[in-house]
Amino acid sequence: MQATLTQTRARRPRPSFKGIGRAIRYLTRYGRQAALPYLFLIIATLAQLAVPRMIRNVIDAVTSGFVANQILDALTTIPEQLVGAALPKILEAAGRPDSLTLDQLKVQLEADVSSAPQILINALIFIVIFAALRGVFSFLQAFWAEKNSQAVAYDIRNELYSKIQSLSFSYHDKNQTGQLMVRATDDVEKVRVFIGQGLLQLVGAIILLTGTVIILFSTNVTLAWTSMPILPIAFGLFVFFGIISQPLFAKVQEKLSALNTILQENLAGVKVIKAFTREREQQKKFHFAANDTMNQQIHVARLFTFLFPLIFMVANLGQAAILYVGGEQIITGLLTLGEWQEFSLYLIYLFFPIAQFGFIITQLGQASASAERIFEILDAKNDIVDRPNAVTLPDVTGTVKFENVTFRYFGGGDPVLKNVSFIANPGETIALLGATGSGKTTIINLLPRFYDPSEGKITIDNHDLRDVRLESLRSQIGIVLQETTLFSGSIRDNIAFGKPDATLDEIQSAAKAAAAHDFITSFPDGYNTHVGERGATLSGGQKQRLAIARAILLNPRILILDDSTSSVDLQTESHIQAALETLMQGRTSFVIAQRISTVVNADKIIVLDKGEIVAEGKHNDLMEDSAIYAEIYNSQILAHQTSEVFKTSEVSGEVTL
Amino acid sequence: MMGNRQDLFKQETVKASNVRATLARLGRYFAPYWYMVLLALAVIIASTWMNVTTPELTGQATDCFIVPLGGQTASFQPFGLTQSENSASASACWLGTTDPSSLTLTRQLIYKAHTWNDFPIPDASTMTNDSRIAGLFRLTMIMAALYVFGALLFGLTFLVMTWAAQHVIRQLRLQVFEKLHDLSLSYYSEHTAGDLMSRITNDTSALEQGTSFALVQFISGVIQLVWISYNMLTASLPFALLSLSVAPLMFVATAYFSAQARKAFRKSRKEIGNVNAELQESISSVREVQAFNRADENMEQFREVNAANRDANVRAVSFTSALAPVLEALSYVALAIVVGAGGWALLSGQTLFGATVTFGLVVTFLAYVQRFNQPIQQIAVLWTNIQNGIAGAERIFNILDENPAVQDKPTAQTMPPIKGLVEFTNASHSYEDGVPVLKEVSFTAQPGQTIAIVGPTGAGKTTIINLLPRFYDVTTGSVKIDGIDVRDVTMKSLREQIGIVLQDTFLFSQSVIENVLFGRPNATDDEVMSAIKLANADSFIERLPEKYQTVLGERGSGLSQGQRQLLSIARAALSDPKILILDEATSSVDTRTERLIQKAFDELLKGRTAFVIAHRLSTIRNADMILVLKDGQIIERGKHDELLAQQGFYYDLYMSQFKKQEEIAEAIIAN
Repeated sequence: MQATLTQTRARRPRPSFKGIGRAIRYLTRYGRQAALPYLFLIIATLAQLAVPRMIRNVIDAVTSGFVANQILDALTTIPEQLVGAALPKILEAAGRPDSLTLDQLKVQLEADVSSAPQILINALIFIVIFAALRGVFSFLQAFWAEKNSQAVAYDIRNELYSKIQSLSFSYHDKNQTGQLMVRATDDVEKVRVFIGQGLLQLVGAIILLTGTVIILFSTNVTLAWTSMPILPIAFGLFVFFGIISQPLFAKVQEKLSALNTILQENLAGVKVIKAFTREREQQKKFHFAANDTMNQQIHVARLFTFLFPLIFMVANLGQAAILYVGGEQIITGLLTLGEWQEFSLYLIYLFFPIAQFGFIITQLGQASASAERIFEILDAKNDIVDRPNAVTLPDVTGTVKFENVTFRYFGGGDPVLKNVSFIANPGETIALLGATGSGKTTIINLLPRFYDPSEGKITIDNHDLRDVRLESLRSQIGIVLQETTLFSGSIRDNIAFGKPDATLDEIQSAAKAAAAHDFITSFPDGYNTHVGERGATLSGGQKQRLAIARAILLNPRILILDDSTSSVDLQTESHIQAALETLMQGRTSFVIAQRISTVVNADKIIVLDKGEIVAEGKHNDLMEDSAIYAEIYNSQILAHQTSEVFKTSEVSGEVTL
Repeated sequence: MMGNRQDLFKQETVKASNVRATLARLGRYFAPYWYMVLLALAVIIASTWMNVTTPELTGQATDCFIVPLGGQTASFQPFGLTQSENSASASACWLGTTDPSSLTLTRQLIYKAHTWNDFPIPDASTMTNDSRIAGLFRLTMIMAALYVFGALLFGLTFLVMTWAAQHVIRQLRLQVFEKLHDLSLSYYSEHTAGDLMSRITNDTSALEQGTSFALVQFISGVIQLVWISYNMLTASLPFALLSLSVAPLMFVATAYFSAQARKAFRKSRKEIGNVNAELQESISSVREVQAFNRADENMEQFREVNAANRDANVRAVSFTSALAPVLEALSYVALAIVVGAGGWALLSGQTLFGATVTFGLVVTFLAYVQRFNQPIQQIAVLWTNIQNGIAGAERIFNILDENPAVQDKPTAQTMPPIKGLVEFTNASHSYEDGVPVLKEVSFTAQPGQTIAIVGPTGAGKTTIINLLPRFYDVTTGSVKIDGIDVRDVTMKSLREQIGIVLQDTFLFSQSVIENVLFGRPNATDDEVMSAIKLANADSFIERLPEKYQTVLGERGSGLSQGQRQLLSIARAALSDPKILILDEATSSVDTRTERLIQKAFDELLKGRTAFVIAHRLSTIRNADMILVLKDGQIIERGKHDELLAQQGFYYDLYMSQFKKQEEIAEAIIAN
């Protein structure tokens, strides 16, 4: 038996990255396309890394050109005779080898001056090229990453959808629609965002960080060391921030949802609150919750107040350190102005990936939790699956046998069916009777193998249900459930629900047999009339007849009918009755009956009490023999019928006899 | 925490219809915290000032200490030579000025900090390497101090704004909550609980997002943009214009891509909506899907919407993922322009359209341009947040401005203990103008009587009982209890004495016992137990896992509708009302239990005036008076036997049931 879906999303178990790793492996289905964003990312990052170097080239060219100009200017002002004496000093200051002659120096300086504009222009062109490369490739990277991540999300959603559809009833009994929805939407999106952005950011950040560190150290070791302390400090801050803030954010969510619960209850139950004049108490309760929420938010803000500036500060203090150490080196001639500016630009690259790590770690935590929740569904064991050697159920005649069937929900607790045995012969109508919880619904759920019996066996034409293929079994059983669910689509689609390739003729004759044709054709769009979600535009009786038509179209040998709700007027009632009679003719039918005629005309009535058959037989015999049957008959069937009287008049507004 | 840029574009931008009025009103909520708001503003300005000032310090560090060239006092130090022609800038190193009073305020402050404790001003002609390094160190310290204070102040702003905004939001929440209680039921018939819920929560969180972090960032971003532009323009107009020349492109790109992205995301929102609808439908009807072997067809259908969603998102993202790279590329171009133009001027020794350029100025501008580019992206995103916040506030105000249809009169008295005489005199009611649901209904219920109300849906049964506790007011006519018009007393004192059991029972997600206690919180344990016993709820409660302490799920889930009705009967019994209203109180209870409850009701109704709406005849048969309603009018009234004797509408209803039973009997015999 599968476990119920993890209930509390707030509870954070130790993160395991198994789930997210498995989600990432979905990318491998896309082969080379999956590698594209990473390739683009590398190109874009390299282009980004090149820009500060180009800016340094410009500045250095300008500086040397400028300095050369200055020296050349100065040289002209120095009296000829003094030049010789000044030359070593000049050469030392200009950082040239002291073997140079004055003329050689002049040639070099002039070359510096004349080459500077060219270097400047080249570097500028390169900056623009690199900027363009950076722009184009980071766009391509983002685009392909999105494309791939959407493809993965598409695959995961399809798998989830298919899995959810195939999971047995016992799974759906335990897990609410809402929870499953959240997994197929929110959780898939979280995983997608991580695969599409987080993962790339992580790789990008690593490349950028490594590249920057290499460049920094190859440019100037002292200056590089100056900036290194930022790394552990900033990283530590982010980790600290992540550890501290996560539970605080979870707490904010908790307080907020407590607040919203009160709001929700007061909106939905406003009449009760007004009727009992409990406004004051509720307001007090809300006041507490609102204060709680506010205080928690302010608490979080306090954390931000210290941590955020701290992080910015570390980044900026790095700049200040570079200013000082770099400035000192320029003054002592160990560094050029361009290198210094280059450093200050690279420093941003150093800090940026670390900031990203912080966000990515948070994202990774969320995404791996989401991935685990997704795979929890995908890995859920399905109780009801075809056995490996399952055979196709041949066309049945309709002998249904229950042999000592016992059933417990969720494999434990008190049995809801105890040792139930009976035989339904081909064409017979079996009426199931009993109080709520007596096991009627369980019996009809066991037939199409929505569940398997815990003990005993069920056979159709002597085939154990567990030995045949599900599809071949279910395709021979028609079901009209208590609450008719219609699907958004046309009436035609809804009738053809079980047989999508049915012709219009087939559909129409099914509708006619179900007494639905007349009301369908009375709609302007006839069979193409669109029914909204859950068939909101149709009345209860109309929906029921569509459900009957749906079952008739399948022409099943075995029929299951749960007609315990029949909130329809008398005229419709007689229509439905006629339709049901047509439907049941010649088929083995199991009916949870509320209608007197069904019960009275049944070939066999099975009376259930607390999961056991307490009486079995025809109406007249049971009326005589079984006290329980007589009581149920009087209290349920007759009372039900009488209570319908007033409802009847309500619907039609007048009494129809 | 800053959200992802893409996610923010995903939000629907809703514009408030009257921004000015909404802002003014929102302002009044912030008024009590004006000192906080002022503090926040002051601090924002201060921290932005620091942010804007630091580039200038880098410039001074360059011009005064690192490369002291180009000033009028500057000389090319390494050669001990005074510079002549290339006196590019007159005041590149203003730290070295002899007349600090001519400096701007900001510069004067830095100047003072730098010369504090008689630190020598930089003089390129006399400085040694050591003194240059010392000067640089002092400047670096000033810069570090500015960074530290700027960062702390920015954090403080955030705290202060959050503090004020959270107080305002709490205030609004409490007001909305109280308003929800004040609004009469007519409001709730126009707005579903789900709609209101999502509106209130979404609007509050939009306001929350728009007022705290986003506002601070937005304001500081705008101030920073303006301030940096001003600084650049005053430092060197032509150089500034050149450096900022890509800024308009950035604005245009941001505006264009944001608009495109929003449009694209609107489409993708629709597609994800389809995916969700498809999922929702097939998960909730999984039983049918399996019964009809529909898995394959459904899968195909789902693949289609799922693929449409994927494609719409990829299309949308092609716009959002273009913006950041374009802005980044443009910002590199801006850097290139600064070094290019500055470099050209320095190299050629010429002025830039008449402006002199120094190394320091180039360095300063490099820092400025970086600081200029970063808020542009932020502002586009934050603007969306703020707009949504204002729109959210407006919708919250709309709820607060709603006028309750039913209110206490200013002169309303407390209802004295009710004896139970209820008189309807020509009472009419219409939910919509001109469509009366109740027309001139008159009747009198004597104290202790049980009045049954029967009739088709829409006949006005529930309307009659809604008038008693003043859930609605009569349009014309009057409803009096013990001779007092219900509109002349306070609703609280009136409702306290009326107990109601509704068909659609509402329970709270609390324990069983707390739900019963809701009827009268100060009841003793014995009273609670006897109310529970009276409602026959004890037998099922005993079977619950935690018995009386079992906490119910949302809206009482975990219990059957019948069990919920039993609890709400117990709740009403505990409140010990003088007048009891049972609106389909046992509609979902099975017939056996109903018979048991019927006995309890006989007990409960004793000595109280009661109004009963029921489908099952047994409840009605013993009533002191049956009112037969049709189309908002009482068409018959009297006891069960009298009404049968009249052979009218009631007779028809009753006989139709009788006939049906006869038919059944015949059918049985025929078998």
